Amino acid sequence: MMRQPPSNTIAKDAIKAWRITALLGEGIVWLVTISLGVLYFVFDWSVWIVLIAFIVSVLSTVFFVVILPKLRWRRWRYEVFEQEIYIQHGILIVSRTLVPMIRVQHVDTKQGPILKRYNLASVTISTAATTHEIPALLEEDASELRDRISALARVDEDDV
Amino acid sequence: MSKPHRLHPATILFNFIRTIRESIFLIILGFITFKGESFLYFSLVLSALVVLFITISVLSWYRFTYRIVEDELRIEYGIFIRKKRFISKNRIQSIDLTAGVIHRLFKLVKVQIETAGSGMNAEASLKAVTLQDGEQIRRELKSVRSTSIEESEIEEYPSQKISKKRLFIAGSTSGSIGVMLAIAAFGFSELEQFIPDDFYNNTYEWVIGLGLAIIVFLVMVILLMLWLLGIAGTMIKYGNFTITKHEDELFITRGLLEKKQITIPLKRIQAVGMQESVIRQPLGFVTVYAEVAGGSLDQGEEFSTVLFPILKANEVEGFLEKFLPTHKPTNKQLQPLPKRARKFYVLRSIVPFVILAGVAIYFYPQFSWVPIVLLVGSLYLGLLRYKDGGILTEDKRLTVRFRVLNKNTVIIFHKRIQAFEKKQHKIQKFNRLATISLSIVGKLGVGKHYKLKDLDESNTDVLADWYSYRK
Repeated sequence: MMRQPPSNTIAKDAIKAWRITALLGEGIVWLVTISLGVLYFVFDWSVWIVLIAFIVSVLSTVFFVVILPKLRWRRWRYEVFEQEIYIQHGILIVSRTLVPMIRVQHVDTKQGPILKRYNLASVTISTAATTHEIPALLEEDASELRDRISALARVDEDDV
Repeated sequence: MSKPHRLHPATILFNFIRTIRESIFLIILGFITFKGESFLYFSLVLSALVVLFITISVLSWYRFTYRIVEDELRIEYGIFIRKKRFISKNRIQSIDLTAGVIHRLFKLVKVQIETAGSGMNAEASLKAVTLQDGEQIRRELKSVRSTSIEESEIEEYPSQKISKKRLFIAGSTSGSIGVMLAIAAFGFSELEQFIPDDFYNNTYEWVIGLGLAIIVFLVMVILLMLWLLGIAGTMIKYGNFTITKHEDELFITRGLLEKKQITIPLKRIQAVGMQESVIRQPLGFVTVYAEVAGGSLDQGEEFSTVLFPILKANEVEGFLEKFLPTHKPTNKQLQPLPKRARKFYVLRSIVPFVILAGVAIYFYPQFSWVPIVLLVGSLYLGLLRYKDGGILTEDKRLTVRFRVLNKNTVIIFHKRIQAFEKKQHKIQKFNRLATISLSIVGKLGVGKHYKLKDLDESNTDVLADWYSYRK
């Protein structure tokens, strides 16, 4: 049941949303670099520190903003069966998870300002022991999925 | 018991002790800060406070009443704000009577009532009632099924008690001995440094030598004391450990000074484990424990609930046959980890120590034997971890064996597993290996995850098929 990856990809706009989130993080990195630059001019600091900071900022921006969201999107897969939910994620370590419907306790959808901009929402599935998130689905897909899981999860529990 | 009852007046004492304990820090601080003249005022304030505390203790005892009406336990309490808590008999999971040292002086018990909800505190607790009252409350609140037969069949429930000898073995092999050995090793390595080569050549150093001998002697004495303390601690905690099986629950009573009682409803058991600790394994001793969903910290069990503190490896089967036949250990061989997983286990285990050894040898070459010993130890541990890892499915039951430091064998039923995860990184994929992680509900309703690294990928896929509800 885990030999094939799940069939559905998440919304393509997830890449854009993740890029914005990453950009906000990078903003802090750049602020540090700029203040180092200022320190260099004001206090005559070593030029090497500024140079290294600059290179690190450029590289991390390229990696976290340009490359990573794409890789992440490509890996993220999910599939909802009548009996269970099958999720795959992870870039270096690929993780595949099975969550049986009868173990699902509740399903939530949530949407932050960035996801809202692209009409996206994420779905969180909770069991008694774990939580699993499917990030960035189209808003209507997310609420449909939530309703579907919550309907399927209404199977009688034997005992937990 | 339909009339409101008060707790035993000794509760006032318990309340008072608790408030004092909570404010002891402030009082000590007061003693230190206020000296001289202002000390008089401080004493006045303090005595006023003590009077206030006593009043509060008395009032809260006076205002706390409980009664059993219409299959409900009704508790009313609160000095200014009256609070009422009604707990329906059907919702009660367990009623435990425990007795601390002061309780035992007055022949009293504390009644702890748990419902299915999880939380840090017991749902309701009656701090001090007489033993008779406690037992009567339990009888009345117990569901109907057990009350009818309780008196006649009480002798026939299977039960097992720990022997004095075993208790002593448990104490002397408890974890603290490992800590002690580590301290000893460290201590001696330090001491050796201070011993110069021409040690006995002049009197001055001879005196230091004498001092050293005393230090070594003292260290030995301290270690021995720690060991004895470990024994005493275990004796006090697990003294008179008795497990009894009723129809659908396990009853555990334990404690030499403080008598604890734990009720485990069978249907809340999520997994049963057998732990062979590094010290006990060579001697062939095993601890049997259970993962029980929910519960509260009040029961005094930290992580897993110990079902029996110490058993010979060959007694485990008989023990579980008697108390939990569904979780009897398998007699089949577990599916071992593939040969190619071994190098990963060894690598994972030694890498931190290789780095440590590198740093240590560079900066403190005279101590280089310490990280090298650690390195050899970690190498051996890695091999053990590899050797002990294994998994087996039998019908709806799964047995996982893994080692972190101690060897654990855990038995879980299919329906108790909340989620199944398979993880794989690039190198694992290349070697057709994968890591699995199984989640169950643990103590306080927090998830507990069992992980086994580097299984043969085809085995993990078979396991996923076994777990999957799609057929």
